[in-house]
Amino acid sequence: MEINEELIQAITRAVMKEIDKNGQSGGGSLTGKTRMMPKTSYKGYPQAVKGSDPKEVVIGVGPAFQKEIKATITGIPLDDVLQNIRAGIEEEGMVSRVVKVLKTSDVCFMGLEAAKISGSGIGIGLQSKGTAVIHQKDLYPLSNLELFPQAPLITLDMYRKIGQNAARYVKGEKVTPIESVNDPMVRAKFQVKAALMHIKETEQVDPEIPMIEWGKA
Amino acid sequence: MKLIAGVDIGNSTTEVCIGDMQADGSIRFVSGASRMTTGTKGTPANVGGICAALEEAMDKVQRPVSDIHLVCLNEAAPVIGDTAMETITETIITESSMIGHNPSTPAGAGQAVGELIFLEHLGEGIKGQPYIVAAAAVHTYEEIAGQLNAHHGRLDIRGLILQADEAVLVENRLVFEIPIVDEVRHIRNIPEGKQAAIEVALPGQTVRMLSNPYGIATLLKLTPQETRSVTPIAKNLIGKRSAVVIKTPHGNIRENILPAGEIYLHGDREAMVNIDAGADKIMAALEGAGLIRDISGQADTNVGNMLSRIKIGMAEVSEEALDAVRITDILAVDTMAPVQISGSLAGETCMEKAVGIAAMVKTKQLPMERIARRLQRELMVNVKVAGVEAVMASLGALTTPGTQLPVAVLDMGGGSTDAALIECDGTVRTTHQAGAGELVTLLIQTELGLKSRISAEQIKKYPMAKVESLFHMRLENGQMQFFQESIDPRYFGHVVLLTPGELLKIEEDIPMEKIYNVRRDAKRKVFVRNALRALREVAPDHELKAISNVVLVGGSAEDFEVPEMLMEELSEYRIVCGRGNIRSSEGPRNAVATGLVLSYLGGK
Repeated sequence: MEINEELIQAITRAVMKEIDKNGQSGGGSLTGKTRMMPKTSYKGYPQAVKGSDPKEVVIGVGPAFQKEIKATITGIPLDDVLQNIRAGIEEEGMVSRVVKVLKTSDVCFMGLEAAKISGSGIGIGLQSKGTAVIHQKDLYPLSNLELFPQAPLITLDMYRKIGQNAARYVKGEKVTPIESVNDPMVRAKFQVKAALMHIKETEQVDPEIPMIEWGKA
Repeated sequence: MKLIAGVDIGNSTTEVCIGDMQADGSIRFVSGASRMTTGTKGTPANVGGICAALEEAMDKVQRPVSDIHLVCLNEAAPVIGDTAMETITETIITESSMIGHNPSTPAGAGQAVGELIFLEHLGEGIKGQPYIVAAAAVHTYEEIAGQLNAHHGRLDIRGLILQADEAVLVENRLVFEIPIVDEVRHIRNIPEGKQAAIEVALPGQTVRMLSNPYGIATLLKLTPQETRSVTPIAKNLIGKRSAVVIKTPHGNIRENILPAGEIYLHGDREAMVNIDAGADKIMAALEGAGLIRDISGQADTNVGNMLSRIKIGMAEVSEEALDAVRITDILAVDTMAPVQISGSLAGETCMEKAVGIAAMVKTKQLPMERIARRLQRELMVNVKVAGVEAVMASLGALTTPGTQLPVAVLDMGGGSTDAALIECDGTVRTTHQAGAGELVTLLIQTELGLKSRISAEQIKKYPMAKVESLFHMRLENGQMQFFQESIDPRYFGHVVLLTPGELLKIEEDIPMEKIYNVRRDAKRKVFVRNALRALREVAPDHELKAISNVVLVGGSAEDFEVPEMLMEELSEYRIVCGRGNIRSSEGPRNAVATGLVLSYLGGK
């Protein structure tokens, strides 16, 4: 079969007709809609400051974390994700602190920002869709200690281990990389959802307020 | 101008040396090369490696291989070495009587005694009875802490055993303090209702009560008879961070001596030695037996199987009949191997006694002429077999500056340690001893419990460091080394090997100090012992003091610490000993190849 522009246009017209008939376009047209969610203002929240506890691991969560987005890309509640990372850090005898990074939605920069204000120099970046990274304050932003790029494959057990590994970096112990599964289809399967979640998160970026304490967990 | 090539086929590498015959009859060395030996030493398969090495050497001087006037092959010593390892004891836990391991984060500290009860049955607990609770991983740490806190006032809870790695998490949520052991994999095998003692050591310490038979007796109120039977338990708990001992009527732990068997030495005198006696006794018996014709082991025992495996392997590679293969020398070394205890609850391991053996097999004359003919066909240059290996090695070694006759040459290779002594009048005495680099690798691999032979080989070859932060590491001699740019984060916290050009990390979680000790011990056990044995064999009247110079050659002489160890040892006998430096430039390698080129001069 030959695919040409005419054919694509014909298909598009047919699909649009169906959508209009079923009223699926979200109640009217998309014209004039520029955001997915209204912007939350964090004015008045306490700014995150540099910690002095050498046992501290700072978890830097994304701008939409636990607010506009409540669960990871596979639906794991973010409350549970955070609780498991913190449990992992606690089991290794270290202390955790959570901050919300508002200046960026990039996981590596979030991790680095968290590491920079961490008393130990070790931080964890955690996007609302579930992607995580362990970072150290002296590393370049795009390098890192450990990166967990495939959010759809991360389980709660792995989040616990991410917390444990971060704490082991603080202690200067030998860290065993976390066993994880790899699925080449995951990218294709979740690409659209990941893009939408990332847009949702990026919408909440606020360069004016770089980082706030996020005690809620 | 005639180009002469010397080729030395060793167990692991093939080396060549190219010499240029001057008009005045002297020789100028122009090139050399080293390649992996292809196939087993002394078989026609070697030709591939020889050609590659010759081409490499000739490339260096930009001449074709066909310019070579003559290729001299060494008359390789017809010995092939092999190694094997066998554990001779085994620890078995019958019923579940003991847990002793090193979870990374136990919690609390101290000892406790009580009756074992699962978390689910806490409701049925009796007031006033001390309990030790066992909780499976299905319960969350919140749940476990909540349950224990709820029962705390009513029941007397003394200690806790967890399946999950959550000891600290539970402890932080408890309103009372107890010792907690975690990461006990097979928690369901714990016998409920039995008395148990639990101990968690203080940070930086190891368990003290449970690694002491009288300590166990105190905690579990044992009779003198019972105390005797828990001694192996106590022995196995030495050095552990946390432990549980369970009092079961029949439960026990015992150390089985496997039927390790006897070694029969057929020599000038027949001798027999049990392998349990240890390496020293075996070696003494070997010496007592005089010249060895063959060595065999008791049938259907570990050592018997081990020796026959070596023979079968050798028969295959040398293409000889099995009964024609004779083991003419062995080197036995005592060692320990970490073995998983059968019946363990937390995957504990125990160091079992083991013995490593290197055996050397004498075969018929190696088919060097066949290799020579094949090489001649392939390269279209003249090839001849010239000279005995040991003599050639001595000739080559004499190109080391500062040497003089009489000189002893110690050739430490991969499979065997060879020694030769040349007197001033030119008489040569030689010997071949089993055991060299490969046995060291095997010892390192077993004692450290490494999965791969390759990492053991690398540990043998390179010094280590521990990466302590992203910007510095501590070298094995205690020095610190700092970096401007960060070390690759993958190496963080690891012990790494400092190979030229890159760092190699050791995956296993073994402290650097332990690797250091095992590595040096293995080298000492094999090389020092073998060097003394070999030199004594060739020394006049078997008297070491009669030797004045020893030149170390061969692959293992390149090792970064073996020559120093030997120097220290031999300085006691006032022997000048050092690593050879063939042709003032090659280091300890290429001695035989160089000797072959030189021998052409003499042969003319």
